Amino acid sequence: MMDPVLMGLGAVIVMTAFLGILRIQRGPSGADRMLAAMLFGTAGVALALILAEAAGAGGARDAALVFALLGAITAVAFVKRAWGAGD
Amino acid sequence: MWIVVSEGDLASLRAGVPSSLVAAGVSLALSPGRAPSVSLPGLVRFIGFFLVHSVRGGIDVAMRAIKPSLPIDPGTVTYRLRIEPVSVRVLFVNTLSLLPGTLSTHLDGDELIVHVLDCRGPVISDIEIVERRLADVFNITLRSPIEERA
Amino acid sequence: MDFARIALTVIEYALYAAGAFFFLAGSIGLLRFPDVYTRLHSLTKADNLGLGLVCMGLAVRSGSAIVALKLLFIWMLVLAAGSTACYLVAESARSAGIEPWTREARR
Repeated sequence: MMDPVLMGLGAVIVMTAFLGILRIQRGPSGADRMLAAMLFGTAGVALALILAEAAGAGGARDAALVFALLGAITAVAFVKRAWGAGD
Repeated sequence: MWIVVSEGDLASLRAGVPSSLVAAGVSLALSPGRAPSVSLPGLVRFIGFFLVHSVRGGIDVAMRAIKPSLPIDPGTVTYRLRIEPVSVRVLFVNTLSLLPGTLSTHLDGDELIVHVLDCRGPVISDIEIVERRLADVFNITLRSPIEERA
Repeated sequence: MDFARIALTVIEYALYAAGAFFFLAGSIGLLRFPDVYTRLHSLTKADNLGLGLVCMGLAVRSGSAIVALKLLFIWMLVLAAGSTACYLVAESARSAGIEPWTREARR
């Protein structure tokens, strides 16, 4: 049985990610949309950790680790793609 | 590190030990030069400083975000870096973005452009404090004393 | 349930509540702040603190030192990734010629 407190916490974090979708809609620049992707990264890590605890599946913590790494790579990829390799 | 990641699962060490060694070797080969020496008391003080201020940074920005009047007065300042070498500079630039009200936006030679959420405060002296604290971690003497700044 | 256990549960839930608050505030800032730079402030500081608090709550709950260390490690990784990503996004916004919003420009 899942702890209702953990479920509530997870629900709030999902909600914050939905607010991020509004920012994607409004833009105005690509950088603003990238912010929402950063938000999904952090929220995704938090959610995976909460699920790991709630479902008793320690493996989900490794998923959180991967999310954290992907978050870093995504931002670098975005910058390379959006404004050229630069320096 | 592997033991922590595998949550103490000793059976996984068979795969973990070789891959950890390879990873350590690769990152040593990729990182330029030797790492500057670390002062333990300086490091402990810096971690304490960092934790307190990143909590303050979070509270500060959260309060500004939810207040109906949106009390921000953003701007940019140019800060002349004194800290060396480059690896520590990168750490400094990143740390600054996590502390209250400052956000590193551009590094050009010795000049760091910092975006400030509210320019009404003592921004430059706050940045100097962070730089000094970080310098203490690596036993670095900053090139010019704080009193010399214009 | 003994007293220590209840106290720990209270601490755990308080950490969750604080964490949820900062996640929410970070997103509100993301919507309300006027430009990409100020939104970055909101996101990097508030969300990273929110995640740190949630990790601390989960560490208290697990009662295991090794899980707590792993949570700390994940949080530090997100901090490093977040602040680097933050710098890169700010830098690219700057080189794309996005001017920071100021009070003066509005007056």
